[in-house]
Amino acid sequence: MRDTIQLSAGEVLAVEGITVQFGGIRAIDGVGFTVKRGELLGLIGPNGAGKTTMLKTITGLVKPKEGTVRLNGEAVAELAPHRRARAGLALTHQIVRPFRSMSALDNVTLAAGHRKTANVLGALLHLDRRAESARARELLERLGIAQYADAPSGTLPLGVLKRLEVARALAIEPSILLLDEPLAGLNHVEAERLADTVRELNADGMTIVIIEHNLREVQRICQRLVVLDNGRKLAEGLPGEVLANPDVIAAYIGKGGDDARVA
Amino acid sequence: MGAYELSLFTVIGINVILALSLNLISGYCGQISLGHAAFYGIGAYAAALAGKAGLPFAACVVLAMVVAGSLGALVGGISLRVRHDFLAITTMGVGFLFLGVVRSSDWLGGELGISQIPAAGFDKPMYLVLVLACAALVAAFSVYIKRSWMGAAFDAIADDEDTAGVLGIDVARNKIVAFAIGTALAGLAGALYAYYTRFIGLDSFGFVTSISVLSMVVIGGIGSVWGVVGATVLLTLMPELFRFINDYKLLVYGGLLFAVMRFAPGGLAALIGGGLTRLRRA
Amino acid sequence: MLYLELLVQGLIQGSLYAMIAVGLTLVYGMLRILHIAHAGLFTLGGYLAVTVMNATGSLGAAALAAMASAALAGMAIYRLAYQPILDKPPFVALVASIGLYIALEEVFRLVFGPYGLAFAQPPLQTPVAALGLSLKAGELAMAATALIAMAGLYAFANHTRLGTAWRATVDEPQIAESFGVNPVRVRYLVFLIGSALAGLAGLFVAVLSNQVEPTMGAVPSYKALAIIVLGGLGDVRGSLVAALALGVVEAFGTIYLGDVLDRDALAFAFMIAVLMLRPQGLLGGR
Repeated sequence: MRDTIQLSAGEVLAVEGITVQFGGIRAIDGVGFTVKRGELLGLIGPNGAGKTTMLKTITGLVKPKEGTVRLNGEAVAELAPHRRARAGLALTHQIVRPFRSMSALDNVTLAAGHRKTANVLGALLHLDRRAESARARELLERLGIAQYADAPSGTLPLGVLKRLEVARALAIEPSILLLDEPLAGLNHVEAERLADTVRELNADGMTIVIIEHNLREVQRICQRLVVLDNGRKLAEGLPGEVLANPDVIAAYIGKGGDDARVA
Repeated sequence: MGAYELSLFTVIGINVILALSLNLISGYCGQISLGHAAFYGIGAYAAALAGKAGLPFAACVVLAMVVAGSLGALVGGISLRVRHDFLAITTMGVGFLFLGVVRSSDWLGGELGISQIPAAGFDKPMYLVLVLACAALVAAFSVYIKRSWMGAAFDAIADDEDTAGVLGIDVARNKIVAFAIGTALAGLAGALYAYYTRFIGLDSFGFVTSISVLSMVVIGGIGSVWGVVGATVLLTLMPELFRFINDYKLLVYGGLLFAVMRFAPGGLAALIGGGLTRLRRA
Repeated sequence: MLYLELLVQGLIQGSLYAMIAVGLTLVYGMLRILHIAHAGLFTLGGYLAVTVMNATGSLGAAALAAMASAALAGMAIYRLAYQPILDKPPFVALVASIGLYIALEEVFRLVFGPYGLAFAQPPLQTPVAALGLSLKAGELAMAATALIAMAGLYAFANHTRLGTAWRATVDEPQIAESFGVNPVRVRYLVFLIGSALAGLAGLFVAVLSNQVEPTMGAVPSYKALAIIVLGGLGDVRGSLVAALALGVVEAFGTIYLGDVLDRDALAFAFMIAVLMLRPQGLLGGR
């Protein structure tokens, strides 16, 4: 069975009829959804539902057997990572990966210079980093970690690094931001604060897809949810309705209560 | 300045160019190469053959850089397939392959090498000035790259190439460019060496040379231009300084390589940098 | 007949490579270090074997001396050289190891003289007829020793408690530690076994060429590096296959491509060609 989608002008990301096969196992079976400009969409599901595989398909790490991924109308699944980044796709990893040899500010400055580094030889002709550095400082402030700007990124605590990842991803001026479990590993307070920040970024116009296990925060900040289970799309809709859906509850409980952190 | 000093300083200048050229690849872009001497050799052989064919000195130098840089870009292509330790050993293989090809090719002089390379047309002091000027230019160029956005992209790739890609940096092209520039400069060093000795043989371009160059880069402090220049001068002078213990000089050399890595893995740059910080605090 | 002879010669050479490469790949698998100084242990084994053999006349004592000296030196290298720099970037250990190897070569030159040593009465030189070919007893002994050593290693890794601990430490260091396996002891074990085999390989090379010299470790060790890369770095089975494959490729290549490339260049051309097709090594999955 395939989900069909209608093309509309406001779409940033369109995933259509994706099927991913690993050996004999169907990790994803004909899933499709769209993300509208300015939306904050949550992609949820119990462990093994296919969320990570879906993310990897969108970012091009996994090649689907069938289906297409379009970013602003352009098919991206075949593109190398840097080409997808330039097409407007930014992502943060579940496990933070700062450039450890650089300060927090330099991490973001580097990403902010994406137009200059895009031309490999042309990059040799540009020395000035002031504009990028200023933009990077703005983003650090935006994420509330400006005070760590000059600290070597290898020494920063996880909560700061999670925010640094988001700042760095925003610096490439994406049309959509994919967050892979940004709240994982954070304590209750830190998670709530970062979720608030994500919601503010969205309120300012950034289109965001968040993959998250923390259902409490997902319900609080997302406008719409897509639920995957066993590689299929189980439900889609408003957070309140989706999380009240008996199938969704059964899917989570059936997999053990660990993931269902609905308070 | 006597003949001895002239030749010693000329060799230092050539080694500085060679070490800085590897520093671009291994220090800036993070691609460890154990076969850099091959490109030094390719430059030397290209210049020598071109010179014997009647090309003027300047043309030979340019040709050497183009040939070495083109083959270097090809090896840069290899670095897209294999990474890290795989790459180090693959480049080592490239070095041995170069030796093997030259050894069994008569037109490259085989085991005998190439002799009677024409003179560059400068007397020895002028040649030294030329070599040192080239070394200074290469050092300045290195510092410039580091400050440019290309240097920033190299930094990112050296640190974490997957993340660099996600941030829009074309990792493959940057690596190829790093290899091309670095090996072209190694070709420059090779050409200057060929015209300096006017005889070249395989002994100068073997694995030991690759290792020595890497040692200069690593002992200097990988990525640091001034550290690498300092280490190159020191390591080139060392066998001369230790001539009174001639039998032990390689032992001292090996021991020093080991000791620096064991006790100061950041190299001279970190050692001196750290020392300065401590002094300021005191 | 020529094919068979080349194949047998290739496998014999490959068995030597295997004895050297196993230690390298074990060390790499556990510590991610390209252990260049391993070649020095091979040379040490060769020197000790010749010295002890000439002094006692006993091949057994020579073998024991070769293995014991290499094993002790290997463990000392781990403790004094590698253990303190394990957390540094990989090139640090690589360059340290290269420095150590250069220094070791020089020590051999200073202690045993620059011209090398030879057996007073070279052992295992009798020709033996096998498979219609005439081989030296030493060649057969080397191939047999390599086979026995690999079989023993396999049995040890799979059928003893220590072997299980060892495999666990390589595959899942944290889990192994939580089950009470002491990773440091396992590392010593790896250096002990790998180095002893390298020392034994040194003995056989000394026997077959009746000559040991300070630089004898260089070429075999570069080849061994090529082999462990071909094998997939850290994969013991892959390294064994690669060692035998390289021996055979060299044997045939020297005959058929000898005009184009010499033996050593052939080995590396083979390595580069394979890596371009299979960047993860011969047996590696993608």
